[in-house]
Amino acid sequence: MTVRWAVLAVAAACALLLLGRCGPAGGSTSPAAPRGGPGFNPTDVMFLQMMAPHEGQGVTLARLADGSPGRPVRPEVARLAAAIAGTQLTEVRAMSARLRDWRRPATAAPGSHAAHGGMPATSPAAVRSVERGPADGFERAFLNLLIAHQDDAVQIARMETARGENAWARSLAATIDRSRSAEIAMMLALLDPPK
Amino acid sequence: MRSAHAKVALAVAAVPAASLAAVLAGSAGTASAHGTMSDPPSRVFACKQEGPENPTSDACKAAVAVAGTQPFYDWNEVSRLDAGGRSREIIPDGQLCSAGRAKYRGLDLQRADWPARAVRPGPLTVTYYATAPHQDSNFDFSITRDGWDPTQPLRWADLVPLASFTHQNPSTYTRWTLNLPQRTGRHLIYSIWQRVVGSDEAFYTCSDVDFGGGTTPTPPPTTPPPTTPPTTPPPTTPPPTQQPGDTWTAGKTYAAGDQVTYDGVTYTCLQGHTAIAGWEPPNAPALWRSA
Repeated sequence: MTVRWAVLAVAAACALLLLGRCGPAGGSTSPAAPRGGPGFNPTDVMFLQMMAPHEGQGVTLARLADGSPGRPVRPEVARLAAAIAGTQLTEVRAMSARLRDWRRPATAAPGSHAAHGGMPATSPAAVRSVERGPADGFERAFLNLLIAHQDDAVQIARMETARGENAWARSLAATIDRSRSAEIAMMLALLDPPK
Repeated sequence: MRSAHAKVALAVAAVPAASLAAVLAGSAGTASAHGTMSDPPSRVFACKQEGPENPTSDACKAAVAVAGTQPFYDWNEVSRLDAGGRSREIIPDGQLCSAGRAKYRGLDLQRADWPARAVRPGPLTVTYYATAPHQDSNFDFSITRDGWDPTQPLRWADLVPLASFTHQNPSTYTRWTLNLPQRTGRHLIYSIWQRVVGSDEAFYTCSDVDFGGGTTPTPPPTTPPPTTPPTTPPPTTPPPTQQPGDTWTAGKTYAAGDQVTYDGVTYTCLQGHTAIAGWEPPNAPALWRSA
């Protein structure tokens, strides 16, 4: 119904279901069901397919704090946001490359690309709304949005940690878990500085 | 329903993952979200029903003020993908309503004025609204102990088991009857929906109920107390730059051109930032280049 990572988590889970690992009708197949391969399992594939676009959207979100007129942020917020954008961009590239190496689609639902315009990108409507909010509330709205986004990323990473198999993907998930958790801690401190 | 909801969420725009989810939702079919308690309404459901942008109750207003509107658009996702039956181990006391997630920290606010359904001891039929019912799930319900104070952090030890329904196959609206014990005043009904097969995922709900006869609720604080960050403490303010060759240290702020060593390798900083766990130089090629 709503639009979030948990949708993807469900997609992942249901893909597993369709592979016959669970559910009453496990025999069917679907273009959305990721396949494992040598050294990687369906969870590894789904993790990369979910995380890469999610991180890409995080980059777009983070770049809202670039100090443009109407979107004032403190220098430490801008510095953190820029570092988040930079680190995630390199991760997206690495994840996309890995999926290519594995000969797996870049996203989890190739069958639905046509109906939704192809590869996902951060919703222009989402960006617009944040951009257009009142300037004096921008930084707080921005931080809370990014906290929520990164908190979702932690959850996706932990799905991989729990059920992934590939060492590279698991290591990346661990790094993502730690870095996003630390980013969230920094952002919480930026929202509510110790008195 | 999905498109209408998505439209609302996009309109307020707090949905960075929107188009990704939209892409995947098509293949996910009905399994495109999860659920929460709708009766008695969970905190997240109550605030979602009031409207994330213009909540009416003081408690929902405070929750939005603390953590923004996004958690209430994602009202059916107060979940942990890594639960696997270990909820009590992975969710700290004081963070039961948020499932230990920063995104949902507004739900942990310790207030005596959360919207609450009036109840009496005895049978109570509850409804779980699952936007994506998952086969073979366990549902556990508990209630706060006699004498629990809603202005204090909710701890696992405050919960008394009410009922467990195992290996359920929930539908969109699933009802169970609980038998409420004698209580007075405000209490919480807490539920855990633990998926059993195919996923470690679990969902958590806090539903406020009022047995009546309690003492006058304590007035809420004018400013909500900040919740404890569920993650590691933030770094303290660091010195602006480092001497060349210093060991990389989380919490320090580095400027482009600074040099550090990490695991015996020297790195040059490419982009100014405050170092954090997970951004060790070999893990963050955008920030560091080996010299």
